[in-house]
Amino acid sequence: MDCHTTSSTQKNKRTSREGLDRIVLVGTPNVGKSVIFGLLTGKYATVSNYPGTTVEVTYGNAFIQDHSYLLVDTPGANSLMPMSEDEQVTRDILLVERPAKVVQVGDTKNLVRTLGITIQLAEMGLPMVLDLNMEDEARERGISVDIEALKKILGIEVVSTVAPERRGLRDLKNAIASEGGVPEVGLRYKDLIEEYIGQIKALLPRTNISRRSLAVMILSKDETLKSWLTGAAESHVVEEIERLRAECRLRFGRSLGAAINEARMNRASEIAEVVMSRETVEGSTALAWLGRTSMHPVWGVPVLLAVLYGLYQFVGVLGADIMVGFVEETLFGQYVNPMLTSFIESYLPIAFFRDMLIGQYGIITMALTYAIGIILPITATFFIAFSILEDSGYLPRLAIMSNRIFNIMGLSGKAVLPMVLGLGCGTMAVMTTRVLETRRDRIIATFLLSLAVPCAAQLGVILGMIGALSVKAFLIWLGVVVGLLLFTGYLASLIVPGERSDFMLEIPPIRMPSVMNVLRKTANRVVWYLKEAVPLFIYGTLVLFFLDKVALLGVLESALSPVIVGLLGLPKAATAAFLIGFFRRDYGAAGLFALSTAGMLSPVQTLVSLVTLTLFVPCLAHFFMMIKERGARTTLIMLAVIIPTALTVGGILNWVLRAFDINLL
Amino acid sequence: MSKPCKLTDHSTGESLFMDEALEAIWELQEKSGTASFNDLINMMGHHSRLERMQKTGLFSLSGDAITLSEQGHARARDIIRRHRLAERLFADVLDIADYEDDACRLEHALSREAEEAICTLLGHPPRCPHDKEIPRGECCAVFTRKIKPLALNLREMEVGKEGRVLFINVPAMDRLANMGLVPGAIVRLHQKKPSYVVEVDQTTLALDEDIAQGIYVKQQG
Repeated sequence: MDCHTTSSTQKNKRTSREGLDRIVLVGTPNVGKSVIFGLLTGKYATVSNYPGTTVEVTYGNAFIQDHSYLLVDTPGANSLMPMSEDEQVTRDILLVERPAKVVQVGDTKNLVRTLGITIQLAEMGLPMVLDLNMEDEARERGISVDIEALKKILGIEVVSTVAPERRGLRDLKNAIASEGGVPEVGLRYKDLIEEYIGQIKALLPRTNISRRSLAVMILSKDETLKSWLTGAAESHVVEEIERLRAECRLRFGRSLGAAINEARMNRASEIAEVVMSRETVEGSTALAWLGRTSMHPVWGVPVLLAVLYGLYQFVGVLGADIMVGFVEETLFGQYVNPMLTSFIESYLPIAFFRDMLIGQYGIITMALTYAIGIILPITATFFIAFSILEDSGYLPRLAIMSNRIFNIMGLSGKAVLPMVLGLGCGTMAVMTTRVLETRRDRIIATFLLSLAVPCAAQLGVILGMIGALSVKAFLIWLGVVVGLLLFTGYLASLIVPGERSDFMLEIPPIRMPSVMNVLRKTANRVVWYLKEAVPLFIYGTLVLFFLDKVALLGVLESALSPVIVGLLGLPKAATAAFLIGFFRRDYGAAGLFALSTAGMLSPVQTLVSLVTLTLFVPCLAHFFMMIKERGARTTLIMLAVIIPTALTVGGILNWVLRAFDINLL
Repeated sequence: MSKPCKLTDHSTGESLFMDEALEAIWELQEKSGTASFNDLINMMGHHSRLERMQKTGLFSLSGDAITLSEQGHARARDIIRRHRLAERLFADVLDIADYEDDACRLEHALSREAEEAICTLLGHPPRCPHDKEIPRGECCAVFTRKIKPLALNLREMEVGKEGRVLFINVPAMDRLANMGLVPGAIVRLHQKKPSYVVEVDQTTLALDEDIAQGIYVKQQG
């Protein structure tokens, strides 16, 4: 077979430009790949977008048996025949990055699917190690795999691990440091397909992965390979390859992709049959019970409510209340700000700069106090909670529970992921809309995120202000926002062209999240957030500072007052909060909070201003992310809808509350 | 659009020719309510052979309009049924894109037993891939009374039951295959609400009703 001819060249160590051997981690989603990555690399990791995409790839250094490696953690892939952008990035890394070795992290209990990927890697002719992870879950289900037998069949190093317990980690390191080889899987496709593989292979340029595997990808009609092929081969060769593919399809009579996939899966099943044994296990674990209950049509609802309540307690009470109280009032209010103020007052003689740092719109007194005192505790607790939800496997179950509600808005349950993340940070959530498959779904989700999903920091302040009013006020706010979310989502689903993508989601078992992994994810997200947010806080404050200095703030406030004062019935000073809200929505909320604590807002004014601000334009970072993800034209259209909608709804609410003289206390 | 079956060497036998003619008459009647003899000749050629066919008593002419006799109607109905079932078999189960010629050949070759087995396998489909009606057979009548079809889609399957996947007819077929949901696999339907949840081997998948409808299984137990 072809694998033999290429394997000799593979044995020469491949070295990257940085001088370090590259090890690429590959695996299906939810197999604990990132935990393995964390164990191998320790704490040093950099997350960056793969060139030309916003799919994140994590790089880290690993020191294994006196040898340094550069470890690359790829996005989860169910197949190396890409069906999603994530899978394409993984395939492209294998295609162009010249890995010295591939470490496939697989699910022990799901051996057939795991071997399906091993077969594809073998076809590529890449030297690899197979790590069968989550051995504990397999054992719980009465499944065991004969590792020695599998080693013999594949002819490569195979290890068994339980990543969160660090079990098998030493074996894995030894396997990585070993010579390694290309697995021998003994797969032959139907004669006709083999015939065309041979013909196409002969036309292909030499690459990092075997030409046989490229020929199989082409025959499977892998469109994502086209751009690479047009760059790598001359146009008449590309045409000839395309002609051969069409001819093969015609002669074969049925879908080649399906036949190729079937052949692989059959071979994977054959191997699994030999090395895997099952015994029936009585009863089930508490986690399995929780997994079933949390997607039950009836009992899933109390679970959902309990999760939301826990989220509120953790982020709303612990984060937004207790921690903000400590950091903002005690740490900043009593120590940091007075110290820095007195320091600056005594050493900085120029009043202008002094104001810029510690005045009403000062970088320290306003920007940093808000950024670190209010926003940081809230987002950090939210990201911890989100990482726990993510790693526990609850989020896909939430998607099951909410699929029908999202169907009203023209989306599928999959949209629950960016929407829940939107309750943390809208900017990050807009980026995450990539998990949705069609452009239409992404547009609707982005629009709804931008219009009606408040971020954690904003939510913290909103809940704090509304909490001071009454439950009734909270319910009105919630009703208006959720109602508008459903209504505009429904309208958008009618207006935005295209089909709703189908809902298909793998549901991992409920798991105990690994503390290390949760902390690592949270740390990465908090760092990302601070890098994005703090500069924008400072720019925003500076703009306000200058507007104030040249007295333009007053002019803008007067110019906008017909809307703010007339339509919404708010005090003129609230204008600044809305202006500032564009730089950070949460920042605007904090501005309203200050007005309210100063006793400048009546209950009706508080509610109207909060509803309007919730719906109002997203923050600057969110806005830039919208442009990046959806394009400037779509973003401007969205803003042109969002601003009038927010003001109209606020205006109507103001009129209704006053006309019916509704008591909010 | 389904085209009339081409007259190839296999149609030269008189019985095969008559099958093709009856099929054409059925399709003409289906399209416009009546079948004109002139249209039939335009469609098939072989004027003299068609003239001769009148004597078999399969159809009679009043002016230009064709009326099928009872015997002719039954035979036409059978051939149409077999053709359209064959189309469904090739399109849905075997995933063959260019199935028309094969369907034309198979319609003459199927025994009653094979025809009913295919119909049952397909779950007694009411319409062909071109959305034309498939005449009901005896097996379909029995099915509506007591026997459950062999092929059920997940929507029709009972919660908690297992089934072997027979065929999958949804656009997301390849993605399902990557998760291990392929023909031959055993699926267990865990729940239908609020979303469909199935287990395949050790993989749990949540699906839309749209996808669930396109996955056909043979229910077990």
